[in-house]
Amino acid sequence: MIHQYRVNGESIVIDVSSGAIHVVDDITYELIEECDKLLQELEKNGSVDSESNKEGSKNPLWSKLDKEAICKTVMNRKEHFTDSKDITIDELFEAYDEIDTLVNNEELFTVDNYESNIIDYSKRPTVVKALCLHIAHDCNLACKYCFAGKGEYNGEKELMSFEVGRKAIDFLVENSKGRRNLEVDFFGGEPLMNFEVVKKIVDYARSIEKENDKNFRFTLTTNGVLLTEEIMDYLNDNMDNVVLSVDGRPEVHDRMRPFPKGAGSYDTVIDRFITFAKKRGQEKYYVRGTFTHNNLDFSKDVLHLANLGFKQISVEPVVAKDTDDYAIREEDLPILFEEYDSLAKEMVRRSGTEDEFNFFHYMIDLEGGPCVYKRLSGCGSGTEYLAVTPTGELFPCHQFVGDNDFYMGNVDSGLENLDLRDEFKSCNVYAKEECNNCFAKFYCSGGCAANAYNYSGSILGTYNIGCKLQKKRVEDAIYIKAATSK
Amino acid sequence: MKHVKTLKTKKLSTTVKKGGQTSCCTVGNQS
Repeated sequence: MIHQYRVNGESIVIDVSSGAIHVVDDITYELIEECDKLLQELEKNGSVDSESNKEGSKNPLWSKLDKEAICKTVMNRKEHFTDSKDITIDELFEAYDEIDTLVNNEELFTVDNYESNIIDYSKRPTVVKALCLHIAHDCNLACKYCFAGKGEYNGEKELMSFEVGRKAIDFLVENSKGRRNLEVDFFGGEPLMNFEVVKKIVDYARSIEKENDKNFRFTLTTNGVLLTEEIMDYLNDNMDNVVLSVDGRPEVHDRMRPFPKGAGSYDTVIDRFITFAKKRGQEKYYVRGTFTHNNLDFSKDVLHLANLGFKQISVEPVVAKDTDDYAIREEDLPILFEEYDSLAKEMVRRSGTEDEFNFFHYMIDLEGGPCVYKRLSGCGSGTEYLAVTPTGELFPCHQFVGDNDFYMGNVDSGLENLDLRDEFKSCNVYAKEECNNCFAKFYCSGGCAANAYNYSGSILGTYNIGCKLQKKRVEDAIYIKAATSK
Repeated sequence: MKHVKTLKTKKLSTTVKKGGQTSCCTVGNQS
């Protein structure tokens, strides 16, 4: 499978199964498109010899294509695809030969031979690698898009006790088996409303690291309302990552992130976040915003944060019910696609200057990255990653907390719902038809199980709007790599 | 090549024999 697209003047071809990425000229782009059409027709007509692609990933149908006929077909429509009227048939032959080289090098039109490996991999024994501790089901803001009912938790406010936190750490140590590196996220609500317990849990985890041969890495998310320089110093000493919630421009932030009585929170938190990011040396943090139907021009919010000096930025689409007036709608997508393209272009312009910054959804490691097993087997929710409520109940991830259909056990008795765990374990790209045929599957890993469930009623479903946005982000992330590699 | 510039990427098929954190970093940027 290949995917080809044009963005901001670049013509890009992704060979999905090999991971190869090619930046091509106009005539090559057209030739590849014609070849792809013919290969798909041959495949539909059953021309594939089922034994021919067992070894290697070269497309077995490639030899059936007629170079001369394809080049003549493309030559006949050259007026439609290039400003140059001087293209000769020899140039098309030359470009075709380059395509032929890529195919023989298994870098173009390769076939996907991974499925049997992944099915076996999904049956492997798993360990718990990370916990999301809901340290506070309480909040001092009343954000309109909050999954916890504007921070009110439907009246069920609760803070995690140290006792529950200690048991959660013990549960993680026991269920991580021989794995050394363990992640713990302090999440809420607002974690700083239960800061003393955060500190006690960190101290406890550190105290048992050596005897258990573990290395804990902590993350804390905060809205900044209670942030002081003293707390910043503690977090800088103890947290491997911090997430600072700010949506962008003041009016955008204040519209969705007010205090309970209605006043905006931007002026309260922004200078603290700027100070905090500087104290962390502009690394190991994210300012993390949410965009909604109310600010489809979200690239301005990203650039607002960048212009304040933040270097690690994530601004993400809201997760909302269809009925919420701020939910992202299908008709919003063309505007959002333009915004993503525009942001990518600006990031290329800033590349290599003191104004450059990282954007979470455009961070992609083409030369490294994980193996195909990880790329195709999902995020780990429900198996390797669990959320813990203030009372110690276990859920597949923070987005499932409170939905009793997804209750998995508790920190006292451990995992009880093993059928549900196995259902999450079977979540892989090949289990989802839409993902199986998607060019972004090796960069997306099948998407978010919670979004899929909320949208389709099944964790094996997909979230249509989320998929379209994800594909656009992958295209732009690769475009940035292509444009900055010159 | 005159018409094609291939970016430096990891060949995924090489990770089948050698391969096998949780993600949400994103899987595309994971080490």
